[in-house]
Amino acid sequence: MSPGQAVALVVDDSAVNRKVLTRQLASLDIEAREAANGREALELVGTDGAGVDIVLLDIEMPELDGYETLAAIKGDEALRHLPVIMISAVEELDSVVRCIEMGATDYLPKPFNPAILEARVRASLAGKRLHDLEVESAARQAELLRTIERQKDELSRFLSPQVAALVSTTEGEALLAGHRRIATAVFCDLRDFTPFSEAADPEEVFGVLREYHGMMGELIVAHGGTLEHFAGDGMMVFFNDPVLQDDHVERAVRMALAMRDRFGALAAGWAKRGYRLGFGVGIATGYATLGRIGFEGRHDYGMIGTAVITASRLSSAAAPGQILLAPRSHTEVDGLFEVEELGELQLKGFSRPISPVNVVGVRARDTVAAG
Amino acid sequence: MNLDGAPVLDHAVIAELRAATGDDDAFMAELVETYVTEGAANMDRLLAAAAAQDCEAIVRPAHSLKSTSASLGAMRLSAICRGIEEAGRQARSETLREDAELARDAWEATLAAFAQAGLRE
Repeated sequence: MSPGQAVALVVDDSAVNRKVLTRQLASLDIEAREAANGREALELVGTDGAGVDIVLLDIEMPELDGYETLAAIKGDEALRHLPVIMISAVEELDSVVRCIEMGATDYLPKPFNPAILEARVRASLAGKRLHDLEVESAARQAELLRTIERQKDELSRFLSPQVAALVSTTEGEALLAGHRRIATAVFCDLRDFTPFSEAADPEEVFGVLREYHGMMGELIVAHGGTLEHFAGDGMMVFFNDPVLQDDHVERAVRMALAMRDRFGALAAGWAKRGYRLGFGVGIATGYATLGRIGFEGRHDYGMIGTAVITASRLSSAAAPGQILLAPRSHTEVDGLFEVEELGELQLKGFSRPISPVNVVGVRARDTVAAG
Repeated sequence: MNLDGAPVLDHAVIAELRAATGDDDAFMAELVETYVTEGAANMDRLLAAAAAQDCEAIVRPAHSLKSTSASLGAMRLSAICRGIEEAGRQARSETLREDAELARDAWEATLAAFAQAGLRE
């Protein structure tokens, strides 16, 4: 309903009745428009109601009577919410009952009593106002949902799908604010990337990175990993957050193996063009703090903890083709993968050496059963 | 037709209508004028339908006269027209002419009463 004056459509073949109603409505600060029969009324409301908030409808009329007019209004999706009050003589109450069954809101007895007119018109207008507010609020809600979907879609190009999905949920806000849980961090990067990027054309470097990132990104999503960042040839992915995964270590290792296999095919292509690049991975599991990291205007969904540093150092320590798994991660997936013991490794920044394993491949089923 | 207790012009109805429309003499005069114009056309149709014993054609003018006359306190005419409307709906043509004469008399009386009440010139 328009916020200003309400508009009533008075439909009656009697000019006397129209005049009296129009006059009484004016004293209620309601603008009246007049129609001498149903056909004129339908022409006036058109297809969208034409700003009319309520219809006062006589029953006996030439051309198109009250029943037909009421049926037309109630049968039209765009008009059926319009409240219709039947104008009726007391002896026509049977007809009124029929009209109420057809969807009329109320009736107004003739001769018109101003108090009854005011009460019935106000009640119907209040119902209409409520309906209009509901429609408006539903439209706003739909628009909001469209905006959220659009933003999620937009975000998902920058964020991992898991984090993008978080943004629009209530628990998402709490998760973003920061929390601690066990998670598995995966670092990987290219061996000999720096000399390659110094020697090759920038276009060539970006071409190689594009292929590499495209392939890696696909595998991260396929294994349910959360990509924290790409940094040149390096990337960090973590598991078990924000979506909980019972098998987070196994997923991490399987992803690393898939990456190594796919990398082999890519590297063969690059080798033909004269670029010799290797691929190394470090994986570590431990308690970490996860959530929104950064500053106003530029935040990442990040993971902070010893496991992150361990994974990073293991990745640096890995020879081309190696997937180094920290002891705690190894314990979690013991028996699932063929591994190679490497002995103790002293990692930069750690006071004690650790004993990672190199994952060679998935252990064959019968071997698992035997072991 | 029983017209007991149906005054030609019920002044209480007029007073109520006047109060309900803002105690405006000019508006009342305009309303009565509209009623007379509309009523005269309906009277013509009613008389023609009665002369032709046309039950179907008499319903609408009788209905309109019944309704608007009641609004303006012309209770006698309203009552007569209610009877005619009913007869028309029930396809009882035998009393139509007689009742239409009654209606015409009541119409003339109503116009005179409006003039007497200062609502018409």
